[in-house]
Amino acid sequence: MENNNEVLLRVEHLCQYFKMGRKELKAVDDVNFEIRKGEVFGLVGESGCGKTTTGRSIIKLYDITSGNIYFKGQRICAGTRSYRDAIAAAAKEKKEAIRAAKAERKADPSKAEECRKKIDDAKAAFTIVLLENKKNIEDARRDHTKSDKEYSDKLLAELKTKYEALFEEAKEDPEQTKKLKKEYRKERSIAKKTKLITKIQMIFQDPIASLNPRMTVREIVSEGLVINGIRDKKYIDEKVYEILEMVGLVREHAGRYPHEFSGGQRQRIGIARSVIMHPDMIIADEPISALDVSIQAQVINLLNELRDKLGLTILFIAHDLSVVKYFSDRIGVMYFGKMVELAPSDELFAHPLHPYTKSLLSAIPLPDPHYEKKRTRITYNPIAEHDYSVDKPSMREVAPGHFVYCNDAEELKYREELK
Amino acid sequence: MDKILQVKKLKVSFRTVNGTVKAVRDISFDLERGETLAIVGESGSGKSVTSKAILGILAGNAIIEGGEILYDGKDLLKVGEDDMHKIRGDKISMIFQDPLSSLDPIVKIGKQITEAMLLKNKANRRAGRKEFNTMLARLKVFMDEAVGKENPETIARIKELVETFDKFNISALKLENSYNIAHTRAEELYADIEDLLFRTEHKQKADIRAKLIVFSKKLAAVRDPFLTAKYEDRLSAIALRLKEESDRFKEKWSAVQSVRRLITGEEVKREVPETTVALLSELKDLLREICEQTKPNFFRIGFYQYKNPGSAPEQMEVEELNEKALAYLNENFMNEFLALVIRGVQRSYENSLALKREVPEKIGALREYFLAGSPEKKETRRRCAEFSALVERSIDRLSVNKDSIAYTFSNSLKNAVERYFFYCKNNPKEEARYERQTKRRDALIAKGKNVDWKVVPKVVMDLGEQIRNIVAILDRLEEKYAADVAQADAFDGRARSVELIDFFKDKASQVVYRVTKRMAREKAIKLMDEVGIPEPRIRYNQYPFEFSGGMRQRIVIAIALAANPDILICDEPTTALDVTIQAQILELINKLKEERNLSVIFITHDLGVVANMADKIAVMYAGKIVEYGTADDIFYDPRHPYTWALLSSMPDLDTNEKLDAIPGTPPNMIYPPVGDAFAERNKYALQIDFEQQPPMFEVSPTHYAATWLLHPDAPKVPIPKTITDRIKRMKKLGGAEHGKQ
Repeated sequence: MENNNEVLLRVEHLCQYFKMGRKELKAVDDVNFEIRKGEVFGLVGESGCGKTTTGRSIIKLYDITSGNIYFKGQRICAGTRSYRDAIAAAAKEKKEAIRAAKAERKADPSKAEECRKKIDDAKAAFTIVLLENKKNIEDARRDHTKSDKEYSDKLLAELKTKYEALFEEAKEDPEQTKKLKKEYRKERSIAKKTKLITKIQMIFQDPIASLNPRMTVREIVSEGLVINGIRDKKYIDEKVYEILEMVGLVREHAGRYPHEFSGGQRQRIGIARSVIMHPDMIIADEPISALDVSIQAQVINLLNELRDKLGLTILFIAHDLSVVKYFSDRIGVMYFGKMVELAPSDELFAHPLHPYTKSLLSAIPLPDPHYEKKRTRITYNPIAEHDYSVDKPSMREVAPGHFVYCNDAEELKYREELK
Repeated sequence: MDKILQVKKLKVSFRTVNGTVKAVRDISFDLERGETLAIVGESGSGKSVTSKAILGILAGNAIIEGGEILYDGKDLLKVGEDDMHKIRGDKISMIFQDPLSSLDPIVKIGKQITEAMLLKNKANRRAGRKEFNTMLARLKVFMDEAVGKENPETIARIKELVETFDKFNISALKLENSYNIAHTRAEELYADIEDLLFRTEHKQKADIRAKLIVFSKKLAAVRDPFLTAKYEDRLSAIALRLKEESDRFKEKWSAVQSVRRLITGEEVKREVPETTVALLSELKDLLREICEQTKPNFFRIGFYQYKNPGSAPEQMEVEELNEKALAYLNENFMNEFLALVIRGVQRSYENSLALKREVPEKIGALREYFLAGSPEKKETRRRCAEFSALVERSIDRLSVNKDSIAYTFSNSLKNAVERYFFYCKNNPKEEARYERQTKRRDALIAKGKNVDWKVVPKVVMDLGEQIRNIVAILDRLEEKYAADVAQADAFDGRARSVELIDFFKDKASQVVYRVTKRMAREKAIKLMDEVGIPEPRIRYNQYPFEFSGGMRQRIVIAIALAANPDILICDEPTTALDVTIQAQILELINKLKEERNLSVIFITHDLGVVANMADKIAVMYAGKIVEYGTADDIFYDPRHPYTWALLSSMPDLDTNEKLDAIPGTPPNMIYPPVGDAFAERNKYALQIDFEQQPPMFEVSPTHYAATWLLHPDAPKVPIPKTITDRIKRMKKLGGAEHGKQ
């Protein structure tokens, strides 16, 4: 059933490195996942493990180092590092091959012909790799910068066909044609400015820091519309009121400034701002961590409601596991830039496989003194747990829909565990 | 268990531009030794304000409207800044919410940890001496009294004995001091060597030769008849070898250096020869052995030395020495002295008990007087002063455990009475002012002028309330004294006396306990190790920004623990941290609590966090405690709708249905609601909740809740299903038949 669902976002080999002096910080390292339409995907892990960076990379707040991100089947982000690495590796190979051939020739001059052939072969192989990867890099760069343009072009084309038919219909009526023309012009100007990336919106962690204190709520919420080229004040106002009421605020709030609101209401404003663009997907980056317990429940209920009403897909980033469990359909666990386990949430909590997941689950405090007094926390020490010196690990599907980062030996062990 | 901290009817408000915010409204709780009290509530419920009031670090615009915080015979709300300084950080210390803003970004971690240790030490030593002297003088008075004037010989003997006690204590202190200094030096040297070995092991720069010279100098200072008498030979042998080594080093060094430089033009890499390392490790082991000896009992030996000046300590095992000294002490001094002390203590206790028996009727008279109404100023003051004097006399001054209520009584009474008279005078004034201003304003408005000022609302205190406050203070004393009198049979003079002598010893050793910078450093490193920071020796010299969030919070905990406090206040220590680190920090606090018998006040808004920490939980809402009970009471049998709401608004791992969010926001505390503050957000609210504040209803002797639902006339409201379900589930999970059966 779920497998039939359309994949909305696909992240492939996402790597995001940051320069730190001479060294490189691998904030996100080779992460793969898919988010289906209408589901809530939870991303958990301790602070500094790259959850937020993943979210921010998806919405193009960073230029990703390598990997691809597809949204609605279109590549919106692409990094070039892997291709450049491939070229460098091929060059090194070529060099070594040539050196070996030359050495051979020196040792035995009679094989000169053979050796020359070898050298030529190596050069040719390298050229193939070079060209292929150069093309890849070019594609990646084009997709990375032009995806929005392509999307708006597509929209324009659609509009054009739609209106051409309409014009055809209203050919006899000049009044109607005029009206249609006006509408067409308006929609075209909007479509021109539409970007694919606006279909993904973000809710930030800190509702105080993420709202401009000098803008009224109306300005904050409508900013996206204005940027998209809508100038009709009346339309904007109505839209703002509608959204404010949808998130549980009232019309009168539109004229106020953020500091006049409580924490929970501020987070509602943040949600309103992201919902007004009619996004297909929302990235919620720890939207409740800075809130009080009683307010947290309000915000979660609101997000749930919106999800049902607008058919949203949500990437939910948090470190509070009980909330993630409650809210998400599938959960990905991250540890130091790597995705270590990915499974439907019930499955993950019932059968955690990766030792880090186990340690994470064992740390959740529950409102139950007797249970708490007996709870033992499992500590996770990657060096002691895994031996990856020979057998390299990768993401493997251990049970249907349940992926774990492991090597062969561990895969067997995990399969045993599941039985 | 004894109550270490008592908060009584605390009221705190803040003066702001918009009006007075009533942050804490009349809360009371007790904290017992070795217990964890969790205060749970939303932001703005007054949790942090309470904890800050305890430490005396409220913001400048805070007004303490009433109440008491009793700790160690003092009322923390009324002590001066000088006294507070001795308590804050030293006896009561605090872990703040945000580790980022509570550490100084430009001071190294090590310095931040040791700072307080060094500052507090000096003050402690002075205070110890003072307390020793006053207590001894007091003891003498009572002993004299117990013996009676008709025995001038015994009184003379007492004088002699007390003098001896004082003097031999001083002589013992001298011995101990010299021992301590030598011991400290040995420890310092040990740490130095460990440092050097660590550096050489990690191939860091170190000037070995200079270090060796310093070491031999320091080694010469490690000499004390009690500490090193047995090791004399080994020490001098090693000192000799140390000197040889450093000399050899010098020659070899310069020779090798010059030749190498000639040949290669390079500086020689300074490698430490293995012989040196071996020597140093040997010295290190020896020092360890010296440091780990049992400490002789200087209290006993001091007496021996005082009686036989000039006699050298004999070469014998510490245990044997202690035994002998004890026998000598008992025979010549202690038996006699202890007998007298017991008599003195008994006498003091009896005196105070007799007075305590007298007190209740006086209290009765005084209470009648106040309840009769409109007390006259002069008369009241006279009566109160008289009564306070009686109570002051009735305090058993020789008791080591101070009776907080009696100690603070006279001050509290005086305060309350003065307050009453102040308002007697001030209320009419205030009303007159209000009348006047309203009239003027109305007149201006009637004239049609544009009035741009408001009348400041009148602050009229209820005089009846003030009287009730006074009576409450009297009641409390009466109750306490009644309990004391009832327990009179359990009095054990001998145990008390031993306690008292221990107190003297304790104070005396406080005087000689000296903290050097080096010692503080070692202690800090030990502390960092204790709170779970890997490689503390390297970390010691780093800045806060080099630490991760969890590590930073650990440093804050280490600083809080550096002074070895009695009470630790944790103000949301884990809110900024993620689950795993949170679990670690909670485990750490729990562990330290067990080890040091700390009392902890744990403030949080997350009920899940406190389940494994708390012995007792106070749920606060809008400046009041709405429910108070043990952890089991609160989690398995919650009674207040707010507690229900808190419990059901957070999802646990098995929640699937819609969350019960609490609608609305907390009330504006400038205009606190008339009735139950939670009524507006409460779906179980009764009509009376909007009209009248509920009192604390008792559910069980440990469990109280302030809700009208517990009133016998109230309709029966069952606990919400989500919570009962969860409790059932939890019991299954906990796998036991716990609960209330």
